Amino acid sequence: MSARATVLGALAIAAALPAWAQRPASALELFVQRDKGYCIACHQLPAGSGPASTSDLGPRLEGARMRALGKAAIRAVIADPTVANPSTVMPPFGRHRILDAKEIDRLVEFLDALP
Amino acid sequence: MRFPSAGALALALAATCAVAAPDAVRKEIADRVQAQLPQGASVDEVAPDADALVAAGQKLWIAKFKDKASLAGCFPNGGRRIVAGYPQYDARLKRVVTLEMAINQCRKAHGEALYEPTDPATMGAVLAYVRSLSNNMKMAVRVPAAAEPRFEQGRRMYFTRMGQRNFACASCHLQDAGKNFDGVALSAAVGQATHWPEIRAGVPVTLQARIRECLELMGAAPFAAGSDELNDVEYFLSYLSNGLPLRANVQRTKAE
Repeated sequence: MSARATVLGALAIAAALPAWAQRPASALELFVQRDKGYCIACHQLPAGSGPASTSDLGPRLEGARMRALGKAAIRAVIADPTVANPSTVMPPFGRHRILDAKEIDRLVEFLDALP
Repeated sequence: MRFPSAGALALALAATCAVAAPDAVRKEIADRVQAQLPQGASVDEVAPDADALVAAGQKLWIAKFKDKASLAGCFPNGGRRIVAGYPQYDARLKRVVTLEMAINQCRKAHGEALYEPTDPATMGAVLAYVRSLSNNMKMAVRVPAAAEPRFEQGRRMYFTRMGQRNFACASCHLQDAGKNFDGVALSAAVGQATHWPEIRAGVPVTLQARIRECLELMGAAPFAAGSDELNDVEYFLSYLSNGLPLRANVQRTKAE
């Protein structure tokens, strides 16, 4: 490969990077990434819905329980759980801008759809 | 209509306003941890690669300064069996003096460059050695009356929510001690100060370096190692561990 072709290839990769970097994180990525929800550190998911964990600071996230709560309540808890429970350890993901509104919405849909 | 008794009011006020004596604070927290975790939260193991580190620390400990003094000469009995009493309160400075700070005070007094408080190759190695000279001694940190504001400041820091994640140290290490965070059992406040530096893959990690890692995870800008803020937290935590055996150079495999 010529030097020119190498440079062109590198430029093409560089041009593609911003589009890749801006891809919104999936709900599961939001759930596991340290700089996002990092929910996996405290909660367990039903088998097959994501990485297995032994975390138990928060309750297991069973789909039936999520649907009983309802999307509005789940959204409110993620945005600021201290409203309902001032002594909770759970971070206020919305109030402290750890997650934006769209990211919270994606997590709400993900939790609502759990088995 | 019933009114709360004066005694109940006094208790409620004491809980919210008054600064409790260090001994009462320690007893209350120790009782709570004992009730939550009667079997303890963690298992310490002697690090298999601590020998080389201790030997490196010994070299630095006995090395002669330019003025022929040494770290060993700055401490009573060459540093043997002194560590369980650290941190100490310096009434003249009105500050908490950690072992790291005392080591650097010695170097400064003899015109030597200070060690970085969390540098594994110097301070970490020296701590690994000098703490090995106090292995299994019971922690015996004193909080004289003049030092109670520093202890209280450390307690307050430990219980204050900080950073983007809105955690307090106590959120994880008291409220949820023993539970699993990302697959790791959370250590309890009582006993957290007994075993530093902890050895990770041969590298010594000081207590304050570990607290700084926690602060990063909490989404807070960490206080500097050696700052009064972290010294006060270390003072508070060390006092909570009084009576527990000091463990030199362990690796923790079961808890953080």
